[in-house]
Amino acid sequence: MPKDLPPRLSLKLVRWLCKQELVEELEGNLHEYYAIHSQSNFKGLKYWYQVLNYLRPSTLKSFKNSNSGSMFIFNPVLTFRNLYRNKSTSLISIFGFTLGLVATIFLYFYLSGEVTTDDFHTNKNQIYRVLRVSEMNGTPYRIGVTSGPYAEALKTDFPSDIEATARALPEDGLVVVGEKRFVEDNLLFADQNFFEFFSYPLKTGNPETVLSTVNAVVLTQASAKKYFGDEDPMGQVIEVDNEFEFIVSGIMDELPGETHIDFSMIFSIGLMERFEWFDGWWNNGLMTYVKIPTPQQAQNVTNNLVPFIDKYMGEDFARSGKRIDVVLEPLTEIYFNDETRYDPARHGNLSSILTLAAVAIAILFIACFNYVNLSIAQSFMRAKEVGVRKVLGGGKSRLIIQFLSESFLILLLSLILSVGLCELLNPVFNSYFGLDVTLQWFDINVILFFMGLTSIILLCAGVYPAMLLSGFKPVSILRGGKLSSGKRVGLRKALVVTQFSISIFLIVASILIGVQTQYLNAKDLGFNKEALVLVDLNNSEIRENRERFKEKLLANSNIIGASMVSGEPGGFHDASSFRVTGIDAPTRMRTLFTDTEYIDLLNIDIIAGRNFSKELATDEEFRVIINERAVQELGISPEEVIGRKITMPGWDITDVPVIGVAADYHFNTLKDAIEPLAILSGGFHRKMLVKMNMHNVKDGLLLIDETFEELASGFPMSYQFMDDRLAELYENEQKQARVFSTFSGLSIFLACLGIFGLATYSAQRRQKELGIRKVLGATAQQIIGLISREFVWLVIVASVVAIPVAWYFISQWLGGYAYRIDILDYWYVFVVGGVLAVVIALITVAFKTYGAAISDPTESIRNE
Amino acid sequence: MKGTNLGEFEELLLLVVLILQEEAYMLRIKDEIKNQVDRSISMGALHTTLARLEQKDFLKSEMGGATNERGGRRKRIYELTADGKAALNEVKEMRASLWNQVPAVDLKFSHA
Repeated sequence: MPKDLPPRLSLKLVRWLCKQELVEELEGNLHEYYAIHSQSNFKGLKYWYQVLNYLRPSTLKSFKNSNSGSMFIFNPVLTFRNLYRNKSTSLISIFGFTLGLVATIFLYFYLSGEVTTDDFHTNKNQIYRVLRVSEMNGTPYRIGVTSGPYAEALKTDFPSDIEATARALPEDGLVVVGEKRFVEDNLLFADQNFFEFFSYPLKTGNPETVLSTVNAVVLTQASAKKYFGDEDPMGQVIEVDNEFEFIVSGIMDELPGETHIDFSMIFSIGLMERFEWFDGWWNNGLMTYVKIPTPQQAQNVTNNLVPFIDKYMGEDFARSGKRIDVVLEPLTEIYFNDETRYDPARHGNLSSILTLAAVAIAILFIACFNYVNLSIAQSFMRAKEVGVRKVLGGGKSRLIIQFLSESFLILLLSLILSVGLCELLNPVFNSYFGLDVTLQWFDINVILFFMGLTSIILLCAGVYPAMLLSGFKPVSILRGGKLSSGKRVGLRKALVVTQFSISIFLIVASILIGVQTQYLNAKDLGFNKEALVLVDLNNSEIRENRERFKEKLLANSNIIGASMVSGEPGGFHDASSFRVTGIDAPTRMRTLFTDTEYIDLLNIDIIAGRNFSKELATDEEFRVIINERAVQELGISPEEVIGRKITMPGWDITDVPVIGVAADYHFNTLKDAIEPLAILSGGFHRKMLVKMNMHNVKDGLLLIDETFEELASGFPMSYQFMDDRLAELYENEQKQARVFSTFSGLSIFLACLGIFGLATYSAQRRQKELGIRKVLGATAQQIIGLISREFVWLVIVASVVAIPVAWYFISQWLGGYAYRIDILDYWYVFVVGGVLAVVIALITVAFKTYGAAISDPTESIRNE
Repeated sequence: MKGTNLGEFEELLLLVVLILQEEAYMLRIKDEIKNQVDRSISMGALHTTLARLEQKDFLKSEMGGATNERGGRRKRIYELTADGKAALNEVKEMRASLWNQVPAVDLKFSHA
């Protein structure tokens, strides 16, 4: 009756708990009993009664180890002695674990901060941000900003779904408190329910009323310290833009986590509501949030957003041919939705975070593999110890505990070391990687993380060697027989191959990321970025006087040219709908409002028509030059487009003649392809591009500063070199390149540490063989070659494994860039990566084997 | 001298083992007790007593006879030692001598 077998658990129970010599009989009895009673009522109950009844003193195993002398009880002294005796391996292991742990711990703190962004809001699952959706010639994209009236209208139109709304308007401005004056670029103007809506903590002030007066301002801890030092800021006056006065009505506490809005002060939005533009539906700059209690209601709102927006803006859409929809974005997704354009919110990049996490895990694995490998290598040395222990009655489980406790001790030492190192190196890491990571050790999650980490490492690194060592058969060891090592050697090789594969992958990736970043920075952008300085027209006074500002600058010989722009290359270029005479469909183009000097200043080529001209007085009116890409979009030739008139519906810009076609230049980041662009002479300007005399940049900057001060006194000037501005676009790539090169260095180092240890054992184990070879006339080179060969082979195999993988992943990564290096042109980087690893491995092994190779053979042979 | 006294249950077990001969293993012993004297004893309880009898050297056991319904496991077959048989005899004789000394009249009530 093989079908009717007793429950496995019952048999296991008996096997675990009962005396070894009884198990067979008991199991047999239970089997038979079960078979006999298989037809009766309550057979399970009866059976289990029998099973449990079997567990009694006469059958149970004795769990006291009958002959365990003190040497078999877990003995820290013994553990320490073992670590001390194998100094070099212990050090390599501790060092390896420590490096791996430092990387993992640091990344843990960084990543957990990123991943939990905005998690502290009590209503985080009910809050959504309202986004606009626009499209550029077929590709939709999201826009982070909305305008003033959205909140009110949403609340009115969805009274049962939308419980509350909040608006936040980021601004920059000059903040003055007594003698202290700074231009702050993250001021926030918010609705009075802001502190109820979100869960930003207040140290002083009532969340419900803190922003209820028009001139209220709430300071963060940092800005309170910055402006008031140790004084109490409550009730004090803060002046903004030399014009508006605010009274401090509350002070925030330290934030409990990261958040997507960056602010140093929060003002009541009342001031902004006074401005006329605030009520315009088309305006930008403000973030609208809604609170919707349930996901079903949110879905309902989402379904009705099209009629909603049509109700308010439908006429405008029809008139302008430009349509903008709205969508809801959950609060918890804002931080990682970094594709959103014109977004004042802070963003993190999920894929780079995942990459970092993967790299950290890889490093940790390399460290674990080192330990496993060294332990296996060591096992040959410790076989006798195991044999003797077993003969003296040490059970397998006791040996496993002994070996695991050694692993645990090594891990514990590494953990303590790495916590210290993290604390020590944190400032260095932060500045090197451009991060702001704080180490909070005493947190339940952190403690859980450490416990998890320790157990995982112990499992990966400790269990296998412990099982292996404790499994040795004492008879074969003590008789002096050889330990069969085939399987273990295979495993060791596999581990080494994995380590080096990871290292080679990281080497190749870091080189190619570096090359791509270099390429982005060095690529000909289609304009001359040399000696350009970007001056912010950051207050209304300087904006009103911008023409005079330009003239004054141009009058000086240290300034070669100047031009005002609505957005610099790499900066903001609004998208708008255009109608061109003779072409039916409206075309979407990016816009740049500038002046007649722009094209010359940046050395942009004109391929048809003419440049703006200061001499032709009409150019002070609007004229437009479009780029080649725009011409392509229109579907006519560059010559044909000259003289046609364009209209921007929705703007007061009608019938502006196209006077020329400019060669394409990269006014956006190189991640995106060049888009159609209309360059208009005149309009609204936010920045001034100034070309300096390279021989006298210092005087030039001084002049700009003086002129700025003269025209807008009291406002500090802020400027930036164009080079830096462009490099900023690729900051993320630069960071990535840095992280990868650091970690590839770390991983190759750890991997080498591992084979260093292995080579040591290889040399030791083959001491006698090498001695005999030397006696028979082998040279030192031959001996080094002999030992190196096996390792070099492994590294070669590792490159064969790593290169296709690296190739695949790097191709994927490059796919995200419209302008990128051709991976085929850089095939040699893959070779270099592999060769580099082989060479480093060879040097490491040779360095270690050199000692064995030149040692006196009489020593090794005599020594029995 | 714990070893010399036989308890009532011990005596019963020894007798059953003696009756069963080569068939004297756990489940048969259990069945036999159930059938002969109508007592349900769990295997665990039986094992304790059997083990004690082995310790007293009244029983010896050896493994043998794997069957299919036992999942291929062998059974432990018990057998009386000479000491065991002697102990049973001793008990029997002691009882007989005691019975013989009981006056005949007093025996009647047992048939009432």
